Amino acid sequence: MQGSSFRRSSVAGLPAGSGSALPALLLVGLFFIVPVVALLLRSITDPEPGLQNYAALFGSGTYVRVFLNTFLVAGVVTAVTILVAFPVAWMLAIMPPAMGSIVFGIIILSMWTNLLTRTYAWMVLLQRTGVINRALMGLGIIHAPLPLINNLAGVTIGMVYIMLPFMVLPLVGTLRAIDPMTLRAAALCGASPFEAFRRILLPLSLPGIAAGGLMVFVMSLGYFVTPALLGGTSNMMLAEMIAQTVQSLLNWGLGSAAAFVLLVVTMALYAIQLRLVGARRTGGGI
Amino acid sequence: MKLILTGLLAGLLAATAAKADEMAFTSWGGTTQEAQTKSWAAPFEASSGIKVLQDGPTDYGKLKAMVDAGNVTWDVVDVEMDFAIKAAKDGLLEPIDYAVVPKADLDPRFSNDHAVGSFYYSFVLAWNKGAVPGEPAGWADMFDTKKFPGKRTFYKWSAPGVIEIALLADGVPADKLYPLDLDRAFKKLDTIKSDIVWWGGGAESQQLIASGEAAFGQLWNGRVFALQQDGTDVGVAWNQNLTAADVLVVPRGAKNKGSAMKFLAAATSPAGQAKFAEASGYAPINTKAKAEMPADAVKALPDAHVDGQINLDMNYWAAHRDEIATRWYAWQTK
Repeated sequence: MQGSSFRRSSVAGLPAGSGSALPALLLVGLFFIVPVVALLLRSITDPEPGLQNYAALFGSGTYVRVFLNTFLVAGVVTAVTILVAFPVAWMLAIMPPAMGSIVFGIIILSMWTNLLTRTYAWMVLLQRTGVINRALMGLGIIHAPLPLINNLAGVTIGMVYIMLPFMVLPLVGTLRAIDPMTLRAAALCGASPFEAFRRILLPLSLPGIAAGGLMVFVMSLGYFVTPALLGGTSNMMLAEMIAQTVQSLLNWGLGSAAAFVLLVVTMALYAIQLRLVGARRTGGGI
Repeated sequence: MKLILTGLLAGLLAATAAKADEMAFTSWGGTTQEAQTKSWAAPFEASSGIKVLQDGPTDYGKLKAMVDAGNVTWDVVDVEMDFAIKAAKDGLLEPIDYAVVPKADLDPRFSNDHAVGSFYYSFVLAWNKGAVPGEPAGWADMFDTKKFPGKRTFYKWSAPGVIEIALLADGVPADKLYPLDLDRAFKKLDTIKSDIVWWGGGAESQQLIASGEAAFGQLWNGRVFALQQDGTDVGVAWNQNLTAADVLVVPRGAKNKGSAMKFLAAATSPAGQAKFAEASGYAPINTKAKAEMPADAVKALPDAHVDGQINLDMNYWAAHRDEIATRWYAWQTK
């Protein structure tokens, strides 16, 4: 969604001569194309020319498992993020603008705080001897600490928290564009609030859900810090596996191959996102 | 404009010139690197006039990247012995200049052509006294979840230690550990897999034990020593303590090789080793160092516990590092 509008405006803003695009192209070439080509080359030449790194990647149960797990975690995080973000976005959409901008500010502010700091804060909160477990045990609600860290639960909590703004922002835009009269009309026709949500609000907000959902999913695929600190080794994500392959095994060919596959998958998903969301936006006439 | 450029250029030249009497030392951070800074870098700066910049933590991938790219910004790096042997074979290290570094008093187990001992440590069983009922006596207790329920913490990376601990706990005699029976080790580790919390660095291991997040675990003895110094109520079992060494290496193409060798001479001197051992609880690799230490400090060292002490086989690990690591990470992610 952002990509398509960016592309449109930058093309429209270009002066007639295409020569002025050269610096931008050079920058893209230098900082994106060159490293990607270097990565690809290393994956097919290190330690010797050939496709053995890719064969090892797809032949190894470990990497395939980590790949699948990466998609599983990204999927779970995306689903939970949508569930949490929807009510927040709806509240923001119907709030008086002055109050809305304050809540908006709070959400944005969290994005500006250092990622590592925020992840460590979750470690303190979630561990067995952490604030949440101590409070629950102190209140007598539970008798043994809940396993909230070093597992899928920990990764999901930490990542949903970090991804929330990326889901709320596109959703608010879509929800604000929905005419509140449609909901009132539904009520007048006898629809229950749930029925109105299911048949009017949800379908009309789908473009926002799709845009935010794909963005969160794509971003989650390559995430490193949060899953590495809050997850366990049995739900390791690909980025951590790549770091391990490079740092501990010193097998850069294999690491490059894994990184390249991740990049291709991410780019493909991003392309789908542009196409899907772009088409819906213009076609939906919202 | 021209003036600004000239000024910038002069500034750059001055910066490069200043670098001639600077060097970078990289270690593992936390209480260990603090002790190294205090015991080695500070006196060395005072006596030689060479400024020692601190960096870290040690990262083998970064070291290789620097050497491969021909842009080495680390001059002396503290690494594990098995890595040093492998790295020397792969051409990542400069040879040690023993004309500058006096070799006579160095324990020959811990120095070779491309590495000189930094200190040696023991992996010990440590526990939070408030979180564990009774006293675990050895590695077998780490695998006995009935007698000692709760989380236990182990070193996360593929390195000498955990495999040996699993085999010892499974009843393999200490002198029959090598070659390592990986199948047997992983089978034993499977029995407690869901109770393991991994630590990736020394500071993390201290935090896990101190907070009781993990009731007990495998820690470097110096990290336990530091916890006790801070007044944390930590127990330690020296039975079957596993020794291995850290060594200091100079990456190939290091910019300040001359200064690096002088630094190595100071770090491995009897005085440097004695000071570091006293501050860290890790054992000196200079055989003359203990004579310069207070008797109390000597008692805290791993070599006060030679009964039941087991030496990890660094040469075996250097030769089988990749093969073990592949299986290690495959098992971890399962």
